[in-house]
Amino acid sequence: MSKVITLQAFFEEARAGRLTGIRCGRCGELAIPPKEFCPACQERAWEPLPLDGRGTIASFTVIRVPPRGRAAEAPYAVAVVRLDEGVSLLGRIVDIPLDALKVGLPVRFRPLVRDNQTVVGFGPTV
Amino acid sequence: MRAVAIIGAGSTPFGKLEGRGIVELAVSACRDALAESRAPREKIQAFYLGNFVGERLASQGALAGLVANRLGLTGIPATKVEGACASGGIALRHGVLGIALGLYDFVLVAGVEKMTSSPTAEVTAALATAGDEEGEMRTGLTFPGAFAIITREHMARYGTTREQIGLVSVKNHGLGASNPKAQFRKPVTLDEVLSSRLIADPLRLFDCPPISDGAAAVVLCPAEWARDFHPKPVRVLGSGHATGPATLWEMDDITSFPATVRASREAYGMARLSPGDVRVAEVHDCFTMAEIIATEDLGFFPKGKGGPAVEKGETGPDGQVAVNPSGGLIAKGHPVGATGCAQVYELVKQLRGEAANQVRDVEIALAHNLGGTGVVSTVTILGRM
Ligand SMILES: [Zn+2]
Repeated sequence: MSKVITLQAFFEEARAGRLTGIRCGRCGELAIPPKEFCPACQERAWEPLPLDGRGTIASFTVIRVPPRGRAAEAPYAVAVVRLDEGVSLLGRIVDIPLDALKVGLPVRFRPLVRDNQTVVGFGPTV
Repeated sequence: MRAVAIIGAGSTPFGKLEGRGIVELAVSACRDALAESRAPREKIQAFYLGNFVGERLASQGALAGLVANRLGLTGIPATKVEGACASGGIALRHGVLGIALGLYDFVLVAGVEKMTSSPTAEVTAALATAGDEEGEMRTGLTFPGAFAIITREHMARYGTTREQIGLVSVKNHGLGASNPKAQFRKPVTLDEVLSSRLIADPLRLFDCPPISDGAAAVVLCPAEWARDFHPKPVRVLGSGHATGPATLWEMDDITSFPATVRASREAYGMARLSPGDVRVAEVHDCFTMAEIIATEDLGFFPKGKGGPAVEKGETGPDGQVAVNPSGGLIAKGHPVGATGCAQVYELVKQLRGEAANQVRDVEIALAHNLGGTGVVSTVTILGRM
């Protein structure tokens, strides 16, 4: 249980293709790590909850002026995705043409590894 | 708690201030603020300095002590305050608390940033440290990107139009044109805003503030003594400081910043005032949409009505509430650590009747400073006395 609430464990799992949420054992609140205490009831009784990784784009942008070190990647899209389980997650869009992006578009989680760091990504559902 | 007043205010111009380092900028604003007040320098008992990226962009730490030394204030406690783009507002909050609680009688507060010597990509990366690096920014998100995502959501949810959003830029550039302290001194048309280069869709270049150098400072003392030190002191009627979620995906509603709502509630409560009492406001328009959201979160307009309010001129100098008569961050400039103090500098001028774009009949003024994508906010309400 303590394993899933660290960000490191969340990204290790994500790297293996598994998106993991946490559910409060006391009040049922669903969250994405890292959260030490339940924002709804203040309890620390998290239980891991595997997430399906499917969701829809809630909002997005296309980054055209990137931060240092990412010039070769631009332009690229970043989106807030509403997962089917009801929580939101921000991720990098991969393998979807920029002009095909729209609010409500179904997407599916996939890990991205960059400089040995795991980043949350979302790609097409099929 | 003791009532607090501002007895001196100073500011450098904002812009690309070549040849002037970060310490010199802060010293210059402080010297102007001290010169305005008749309080002798040796009366100053504490110094708070807001600064965000000075260590990274100007390679300078220990900034508060360095500036205090240069001002001849060696010996007093000097504290650097960091809260991203709200660093200046938080520094002011601490100065106000020090006097309100009776710890000090005279406090100097300043904010400073030196940004234009660094390449844009480095500045973008430095500003991105205000986001949650592990949880969000690692995706390649930038600050314009985060506010672009917020903008799209506000448009989808409330029907806010691209034109309404662009009119914020037109208004603020128009006002900046007649503010001698502003970085941009040229009006822009709506067409120019809407055809400027895309930065992060749907935000364009003229939706964003420039990269700026600058500093601003104020001198505080108990309100009961204020008239002895300045003929037109300004009273601090309310002060609010609050935090909120650090990432977009943790926000229940990305079109509102809970930190702003909480900070304003605290400030209005302390001042025993409501949003309708505010005649002029300097709000944190780090992007055009941020001004619209601020006017909603501060209670000037109902949620979702901030866009139409701009279109109807309700936020213009003769509207219901004059928003950013200085030109705001978008036109006046945004030396991030200085912004919170610069807003208060502009409002002190408004309340004294000495502002560049003087609004009529100003009794109550409000400053709103925001850090990150709403991780922290301060709200300060000022009044004539
Ligand atoms: Zn709970």
